[in-house]
Amino acid sequence: MGILVRGRRLRITIAAALAAAAVVAVLLVVGSSSPASANTTTPVAKAAGGTTLTVAYGSTFVFLTPALAVKWWGGVAKEFEKAHPGVTVKFDPIPGSYNDIVTKLSLLYRSSSTAPDVAELPDGELGGWVASDYLLPLNKYLPTATYWKNFPQSVKNETTFNGTTYAVDHGENTNALFYNIPMFKKAGIPVPWQPHSWADILSAAAKIHKSNATVWPLWLQGGSAGGTIAIQYNGGNLLQGSSTPTIYDSKTKKWVVDSPGLLQTFQFYSDLAKNHLEAPASELLNPNAVDNVPALTSEQKMAIVVGANFYGEAWVKATCGPCWTAAPKTMGVAYLPTQNGPGYASSLGGWELAIGAHTKNASLAWDFIQTAQQETNMIDADNWGGWVPPDKQYWTAPQYTNYAPPYQSFFAKIMPTAVDEPNTTDFAIWGTGFNDATGAIIENPSTTPQQALTIMKNYVTQQLGSGLVETLK
Amino acid sequence: MAAETTLVPPVLAAPTGRRQDRVRFQLGSIPLLAPAAILLIVLFLGPVAYSFYLGFTNLNLIGPTAINYQWTGLTNLNQLIHDPIFGQSLYRTAFFVIGSGVIGATGIGLLLAMAMQRAIPLIRILIGALVVVCFMLPPVTVAMVWYAASTSGGTITALFGSPNSDFLHSFPLVLVGAANTWSLTGLAMLLFGAALRNIPNEVVESAELERANPVQRFFRITLPLLRPTIVTTVLLMTLLSLANFTIVYIMTAGGPGNSTMILPVYSYQQAFQFDRLAYGALVGDAMVVLATIVSFIYVRASRARV
Repeated sequence: MGILVRGRRLRITIAAALAAAAVVAVLLVVGSSSPASANTTTPVAKAAGGTTLTVAYGSTFVFLTPALAVKWWGGVAKEFEKAHPGVTVKFDPIPGSYNDIVTKLSLLYRSSSTAPDVAELPDGELGGWVASDYLLPLNKYLPTATYWKNFPQSVKNETTFNGTTYAVDHGENTNALFYNIPMFKKAGIPVPWQPHSWADILSAAAKIHKSNATVWPLWLQGGSAGGTIAIQYNGGNLLQGSSTPTIYDSKTKKWVVDSPGLLQTFQFYSDLAKNHLEAPASELLNPNAVDNVPALTSEQKMAIVVGANFYGEAWVKATCGPCWTAAPKTMGVAYLPTQNGPGYASSLGGWELAIGAHTKNASLAWDFIQTAQQETNMIDADNWGGWVPPDKQYWTAPQYTNYAPPYQSFFAKIMPTAVDEPNTTDFAIWGTGFNDATGAIIENPSTTPQQALTIMKNYVTQQLGSGLVETLK
Repeated sequence: MAAETTLVPPVLAAPTGRRQDRVRFQLGSIPLLAPAAILLIVLFLGPVAYSFYLGFTNLNLIGPTAINYQWTGLTNLNQLIHDPIFGQSLYRTAFFVIGSGVIGATGIGLLLAMAMQRAIPLIRILIGALVVVCFMLPPVTVAMVWYAASTSGGTITALFGSPNSDFLHSFPLVLVGAANTWSLTGLAMLLFGAALRNIPNEVVESAELERANPVQRFFRITLPLLRPTIVTTVLLMTLLSLANFTIVYIMTAGGPGNSTMILPVYSYQQAFQFDRLAYGALVGDAMVVLATIVSFIYVRASRARV
C-alpha cells in the first residue's frame, strides 16, 4: 500500500513537473516572441517594396481640436506619400496634455526601435532632448529650407544650441491683453484701450469692479495645478515686462530665485488678490484653466484677460472652441505693457518639428518636414493649431490674417519682441516654485509679495541646491 | 515495566516518523510552485529590485544621463533624507491613509454594514447599491465628482450655504481624503456585511439572555468576532489609499502649494515633471518599504488569537 501511494505521489510529481515545465515553456515562448512581433511593421512594409516613416504628434493638446490635428497631419502625409511613391507614413498620435506628450516622447526616444523618425515637440523641453542626443542636427539640411531665413532670431534660438540646429518651428504663441468692450464702455473706460503701465491695468480693473461687481475684472492664472506651461500664458508675461526679466542667467549658469522683477510680478498678483480684482481661486487654480479661458471669455464673465493668441482662433466657426462669432466686436486686444512703460512684453513658445538621431530615413524625414512647412501647410497648421507663423512673410498673408481677424495680425506683430523661456529640464523646477508663489497669493490674498518670493526661493533652492540658484539685484 | 509497556495503546505510542501536525517542505511542491514563483520574480520582485537599483543612480527622463546613467551611491538617499518636501509628504501620506482609509472608509463601512443588517430590504438594497456604485466608479470619475462638488458653485459648498466658497482650496487634504473615503467605503461595507452574517446568532442571543445592552454586545461580541475582518479591511484600505494617485492628482495635482503632496504624487512629479526618474524611483521605493512594514504589522496582528 505504502509503495503504491509513494508510486502515485511520484507519478503526480512527475506530471506536475511536466505541466509546470510546459507552462514555463509557453511563458518563455510568448515572452520571447513579443519583441519580434512588435518589430514586424517595418520588415512587412519593406517586403512590400516600401519604407515606413514614423511620425509622432500630440493628438489632443496641440491643435485646437483633435479633428483639426487629424485633418492637418493626414493632409501632409497624403501629399508626402504622393510625392514619394512606396513610402508609407505611420502616425503615432499621443493623446493627453503637455506633460503626457513630453513623457511619452521621452520614453519613445529611449529606444531606437520606438523612436519616431519625425516628431512634433514643444520648444520648452527641447534642451533636454538635445542633451540626451535624441535629435538629429539639421544644419546640413537648413540651406534647402527657404523659410528658415524668414524666421525671427528669437525663433531660431529656440531650436539652436551652441550653433547646431535640432528642429524647425512650425508655430508660435504670443501673448497680450483681451478686454471686453461692452464692459469697458459701461465702466466709462475709453476704447480702444491700450494701457501704458501695470498701474493702468489695475486702474481699469478697479473701475470695472466698481461698475459691475458680478464680473471678474481680470484673469491672470497662477498656482501649480496648471503646470509650468501655464506660466507662458500668464505670469511669465509680467516677468518679461518687469525691470529684471531674467529667469536663467546663462553667464553664471544659475536660476534666478530672487530679483526685483520677481518681486514686481508677485506684487501685481498681490494687488489683484487684495483688491478682489481676480477671477475666483477655484477657476484660476483649476488644472484645465488655460483651456477653459476661451469658453469663460465667451460667456462674458471676464473684463480683462492676460492670454495667448490662440483664444481668438478658438472662437471662429472652423474651430468652435466654443463658437463665438461676436468675439471680434466684443473682445478687443491690447499689448501688455512693461511695468512702467514704455514698451510691451510677451512670452514666446512654440512647437517644433525634429528628426530622431537614430533614424534610418533621415533624408525622407527631412522631406516630410519640408512638406509640412510648405506655405499652405504651415499657415493651416498655424490657424488650426492656434499659432502665429514663424515665417514673417506669412504674418500678413490673407490665408492667415483672414482666419480670425483682428487677432491674427495683432498677435503676429508681437513676434519680434516676444521672449522665449529657458528650454532646459530644470525650468520645470523653477516654474513649479514660481507657480507655488503665485498660487499662495491667489489662495490667501494676505500673502505678501516678499512671502511669495520666499516660498519660491526656498522651493527652487531645496530642489536644485544652493549652487544652482542666484539673487539678482 | 514490560507489562506497563504492553498496556500502552498503539495510538499513544511514541511517534516513530515525522510529526504530522507541522507543515513540512516537500520536494514535489517545487514544480507546482515554480510557475507562480517565476511570475512573482519576473513581474514583481524583479521590477522592485530594479527600481531600488535605479533609486541609487542618476537616471533622468531626458538630459545627458537619460541613457548613460551611473550608480551614484547614497547621493539620492542623502537628498531624500534632507528633502523637507519628502518629510512633509510622509506626514501628509500618513494623514491621508490613516484618516481617509483606515478610520474613514473602515469605520463608515462598518457602520453602514451594521445599519444594513437591521434596515428594511428596500432600503438595504438601495443604500447598498449606491455605496457599491461609489466603489465601482473609476477614480477619474470620483475625482471629477468631488472636484465639481467642492469648488465654487458645487453641491457641497451650496449645502454649507456658501456656494461661492472654494472648499477644495481651503481644505484640500480633507477633501481629497473625503473623496478617497467615499470611493473605498463600499468595499469595506461589503467585507463587513459578509463577516456580520457569519456571526452565530446563538452567541448574540445568549448575550441578550444575559441582558447585555447593545453597546456591550457590540464591544464584547461583535467587535471581537469581527477582528480578523477588521484587520483584513484595514490592511486593504491602507494599501489602496497608499497607492491612490489618480484622485489626488486630478483634484489638486498635489497642490495648492504642496498641501496634498502625498508620496505617489511626489514620486510622479519628480520622475515625470522634473524628469528625475532616479529620485522618483527612490520616493517610490520609500513607499514600498512603508507598505511592507505596514503589511508586516497587520499580518502579525491578524495572527494574534481572538
